[in-house]
Amino acid sequence: MISFLTRRLLSGVVLVAVISALTFVLMSMTGTDTARNLAGATATAQQVAQKKTELGLDRPVAAQYTDWLGSALRGDLGRSWAGGDSVAASLSDKLPVTLSIVIGGLLLSAILSVLLGVGAAVRGGLLDRAVQLLAVIGFAVPSFLMALVLALFVGVRWRMLPATGYTAFSESPSLWLQSIILPSVSLAVGAIAATAQQIRSAMADVLRLDYVRTLRSRGLSSRSLLLRHALRNAAPSALTVLTLQFIGLVGGAVVVEKVFGLAGIGSLANTAASNGDTPLLMGVVVVMVALVVVVNLLLDVAQGWLNPKVRVA
Amino acid sequence: MRRTLIAAGAVALVAGVSACSGGSPSSGTAGSKTLTLAPIVPPQPWDLKDAGLGNNAQYYQPVYDSLLRLDTKAEPVANVATSWKYAAGNTELTLKIRSGLKFTDGSALDAAAVKANLEHTRTGTNEAAGQLKAVESVTASGSDSVTLKLSAPDPSLLPNLGSVAGMLASPKAIDSGALKDAPVGSGPYKLDKAATTNGSVYTFVRNKDYWNSKAFPFDKVVLKPLNDPTAVLNALRSGQINGALLTTPKNIPVARGGGLDVTTYASGDIAGVYIWDRGGKLTPALGKVKVRQAINYALDRSSLVKSVYQGAGKATTQFFNSSGAAYDASLDAKYPHDPAKAKALLKEAGYPEGFTVKVLDLSGPFPEAQAAMVEQLAEVGIKVKLVTVPSDQTIKQLLAGKFSMSYFPLASFRPWDTTQIEVAKDATWNIFKYEDPKVTKLMDTAQHATGAKQERAFKELNTYLVDQAWNAPWAAVQAAYATTKTVEVVPQPFTPVPPLYNFSPAA
Repeated sequence: MISFLTRRLLSGVVLVAVISALTFVLMSMTGTDTARNLAGATATAQQVAQKKTELGLDRPVAAQYTDWLGSALRGDLGRSWAGGDSVAASLSDKLPVTLSIVIGGLLLSAILSVLLGVGAAVRGGLLDRAVQLLAVIGFAVPSFLMALVLALFVGVRWRMLPATGYTAFSESPSLWLQSIILPSVSLAVGAIAATAQQIRSAMADVLRLDYVRTLRSRGLSSRSLLLRHALRNAAPSALTVLTLQFIGLVGGAVVVEKVFGLAGIGSLANTAASNGDTPLLMGVVVVMVALVVVVNLLLDVAQGWLNPKVRVA
Repeated sequence: MRRTLIAAGAVALVAGVSACSGGSPSSGTAGSKTLTLAPIVPPQPWDLKDAGLGNNAQYYQPVYDSLLRLDTKAEPVANVATSWKYAAGNTELTLKIRSGLKFTDGSALDAAAVKANLEHTRTGTNEAAGQLKAVESVTASGSDSVTLKLSAPDPSLLPNLGSVAGMLASPKAIDSGALKDAPVGSGPYKLDKAATTNGSVYTFVRNKDYWNSKAFPFDKVVLKPLNDPTAVLNALRSGQINGALLTTPKNIPVARGGGLDVTTYASGDIAGVYIWDRGGKLTPALGKVKVRQAINYALDRSSLVKSVYQGAGKATTQFFNSSGAAYDASLDAKYPHDPAKAKALLKEAGYPEGFTVKVLDLSGPFPEAQAAMVEQLAEVGIKVKLVTVPSDQTIKQLLAGKFSMSYFPLASFRPWDTTQIEVAKDATWNIFKYEDPKVTKLMDTAQHATGAKQERAFKELNTYLVDQAWNAPWAAVQAAYATTKTVEVVPQPFTPVPPLYNFSPAA
């Protein structure tokens, strides 16, 4: 298992390196006039040229990349060209915002999709049809629409929860919870739909297996049968779906953060890309790729824990 | 029973969390003397040499005091500089500096500090630096007198010293590079780093040593950048912020209906058909005055204001700001909507069948405006061929001189600034570097004159530019600033958002 994880970790490092190089090259090919964007629409040609020199944009792309890489390897991700803030500090400010709403959404979808999926598989009938209908609706409603509706009604009309903004956990746990509920719910709806369907079919398959019938005939209680045996065997496919959902939710967070006025990684990436702010965008890319690698690694560990055959493989 | 208990617990949890929010999750009422605003742009570096203007100024105003202050008519009044005097044909400006002022790091704000700031800011590349480009040298005499030597008279210099270009940071912080992480100024507030999260919340608390605290009635100022129009509206309606610019005209009635006050004023943006190639280098037809006038007659400005800006604008034929001396209300009647006259002018100019012009496709950011332009020009025979480029390259492509004209909104500031941005031969937005000797002469007269003579020169220049149809503007776009009932605000000409000192608690 350790050598397997080491191999996965090393391939993750290679992935980060390749994607960072690709991003840097793509940024240099977009044609965005970063110096003009930063100097402002009224800046003279001389000021724009001065800005270009200041940022090192008049140097070859390879030289710019090796400089960035050298600094990054020393732990220095540089400063944002637009805002002047340290990239590392910006990421550490914004990552908790995105992770809070994404993990919140993921937990919500994990809990609800297990309840709905298992319920539909076990009970069948009306509940099953209702879950399938809800899943279709959940797929059809985009997260931004859900975000708009929740912000307008729950945030503005009923004033039950904040319509915009984020409070750090360290500042106030209760305000933190309030600030992430609506964005998390907006993100979770689609994920619940997908995961509940997956769990429903996995559970239905497991419940049809011989060993379940044997266990039932030996008088095992329904709860024990479901939780200790059937769900454990149905869990790997659900975990895989949830992992994919996590990556999808990080992408969906870009829009949800915008609607709720949250300064997270999504809005940071958006701003950095439109400004041509290379150091900031590179920081975002490296962190996001590293995050995906870590999540996949955790999935492997969890799969191994749930299914010993994986550990042997 | 167990299920009932679980359900009851869940309901109680949601109710409890909601109850904690109290309906208004953040501060922001005048009663608590906290003013919470939402700038629509993210902050720029604290170092003033990298500072922009307009919306960006909101971040600098709490912490940096400026040499002069602008009153509600945007006229310069005393501030850090108590008096000023021009000499040597308006090429030497001497400012008297208020004594006894200090930056929040304890260093003195004296003539030497002013000199250090002006010399530092003008080395930058952003808009504030651009406003100091006429300054050749700065000399400090004693502790309270500073003289600026200019390469040529700059009619906008005094008001610019009341804006970001005239703001002052601690020279010690400039030298040490401390401004990379936080501002160190002498303004009415200082940044509370503990209550600040870069990019999302900036909290400013009173600078107890500030000399003019009465001008700033709020104990605390909080800035929360928000760029999504829906998020801005929701934050205002739920009481999370006290004020923000509404960037979408359709949100104005929604805001008013939601119990907010909305103040409208000229934003300074002049929108319409900008004719970049007025020398006819790329499109020879545009080199003819009659063709450019025909474009002006082809536009139905009143209907454009209604359809494109939902009425949040004023029809105009001028690209000078209506608050400035160059503006002449009578010129707005110069080109009434008259397609027949437009066609006749095209015929006289040798284009009886009209002509085709390549235009940069800006339907992404300005769908209604561009569609209206294409339609109204087509009615008189001018066929627009749209060319699409990636959205992040539009400015670059326009400034590269690849397109003869386009729909565009350009900010118009004071008359002199507008000439330096759009009219002068080397102006950034005189893209094809077109020069007309009469325009150059009128600009020269305005530059070297003062008072009424200068105002006359600007008016004459504007009249000539409208007559020559340099552009075909159609609307002076209105800005709309929404505030909660707890706050009052007074707009100020030449700036898209009111300055901090124009906010006060509601009576």
